[in-house]
Amino acid sequence: MSQLDTHNHGNFVSTETIDGEIATLNLGPTHPATHGVFQNVMKVDGERILSSEPTIGYIHRAFEKLAERRPYNQITPITDRLNYCSSPINNMGWHMTVEKLAGIHVPKKVDYMRVIIMELARISDHLVCNSVIGVDTGALTGFTYVFQEREKIYEMFEEVCGARLTTNIGRIGGFEREFSPVFFSKLKKFLKEFPGKYQEFDDLLTRNRIFMDRVIGAGPITPEKAIGYGFTGPNLRAAGVDYDVRVMNPYSSYEDFDFTIPIGKDGDTYDRFIVRQEEIKQSFYIIQQPLDAMPEGLFHACTCFLPSCQGRGIQQHGSLNLSL
Amino acid sequence: MSAQEINNASVLEALAAEFGELIINSDEPYGFLTIEIPAEKNTAIIQWLKEHPTIKMNFLTDLCGVHFPDNKGKEIGVVYHLHSWTNNFRMRIKCFVAAATPEVPTLITLFDAANWMERETFDFYGIQFVGHPDLRRILNMDEMDYHPLLKQYALEDETRDDKDDRFFGR
Repeated sequence: MSQLDTHNHGNFVSTETIDGEIATLNLGPTHPATHGVFQNVMKVDGERILSSEPTIGYIHRAFEKLAERRPYNQITPITDRLNYCSSPINNMGWHMTVEKLAGIHVPKKVDYMRVIIMELARISDHLVCNSVIGVDTGALTGFTYVFQEREKIYEMFEEVCGARLTTNIGRIGGFEREFSPVFFSKLKKFLKEFPGKYQEFDDLLTRNRIFMDRVIGAGPITPEKAIGYGFTGPNLRAAGVDYDVRVMNPYSSYEDFDFTIPIGKDGDTYDRFIVRQEEIKQSFYIIQQPLDAMPEGLFHACTCFLPSCQGRGIQQHGSLNLSL
Repeated sequence: MSAQEINNASVLEALAAEFGELIINSDEPYGFLTIEIPAEKNTAIIQWLKEHPTIKMNFLTDLCGVHFPDNKGKEIGVVYHLHSWTNNFRMRIKCFVAAATPEVPTLITLFDAANWMERETFDFYGIQFVGHPDLRRILNMDEMDYHPLLKQYALEDETRDDKDDRFFGR
């Protein structure tokens, strides 16, 4: 058994080998299982990875440069692309940053509308993430089940803003119009049907022996290391740290809603999966609250426009920082 | 100082008592404590903030570069966002260097997260993080011979006349 030491800032370096032969394996840059262009030059000893040097890829799209010459409202569509699985949350993060900068106070109703949209986006993103880990470990079925649910969420986004994936949803100061009756009927239908579908997906993977064997103990991280590396979001919580921006620094009236922060124990792939599964449940639980208690009032702030500032929203992959 | 007393004024006071003149200036834009320090002292000051028994700035939220071409002698800046999770207190630290010698000590000994963030800042602003063990480009190709987020590189070709700003709301 090789002894693995971690030094050189997380690069794993082995001190001994099984048979003395170390091969260099070039994984990527376009390996289909890596979901994105990612290259890993690894030293392997048999099937054990001794060291890995990742190249995260030429994926920078110069959003900062693009933003240099644009008015604030033209930057919103750029934020869609920060994470195309949950564009609405990025949009809201941007809106809230500009609102803070401009001193705009949005009505309570806007906060509640935003929470509904953001939690729907979180569900759809977590569904993608958790079903794709199933695909990566050899189970395609769950993926096809939950993509139907994601589709329904996208239909609701379409109802609100006309777009599905890159949503450009809402405006600085609120929304351009009220949620339509069609949106509410779709949402009510979703809320009624989703738990069954979720359970079906959960039954397929969560206690599946093969799945568990493949993810338990894979890529664990300690809480100290996770904090040192700047983890936030479900990956941090899977390591056992109960940090959630929605609770620590509530925004968009999150303090009005009741929900639980799930945390893991070992910080491995299984814990990350379980934390996301539980967060889907919590998001589902959150959505009903602003829906039932939707305040009367305007769906936008009355702004007459428009000075450095920083806002922050929790994105399903962690916290999102926008410096303006 | 107890946990309840960690706020902009108390942290600034503690910093001033410890470092005095090294705190070049301070501000509170939108209630967010912001201080400017000399670049060569960044590691010492941030380490002090991190290891302080009550302030406990345990998390490096962000590290990024800025470029102010008109700020002569202080054109290039590095901005750090620190967060104390035990006190839920956040602050921003800025340091500036001349464009001719953009050298800032690395924070890698304090936060592992600084590794890739400093590589990114080097990649886009050409800031040399002194002491960084692996300061290579991270998002752009290795052959690139400039640092694209510096202001001298315009986004669009200035000589083009088929793009009328009026049509783009700018």
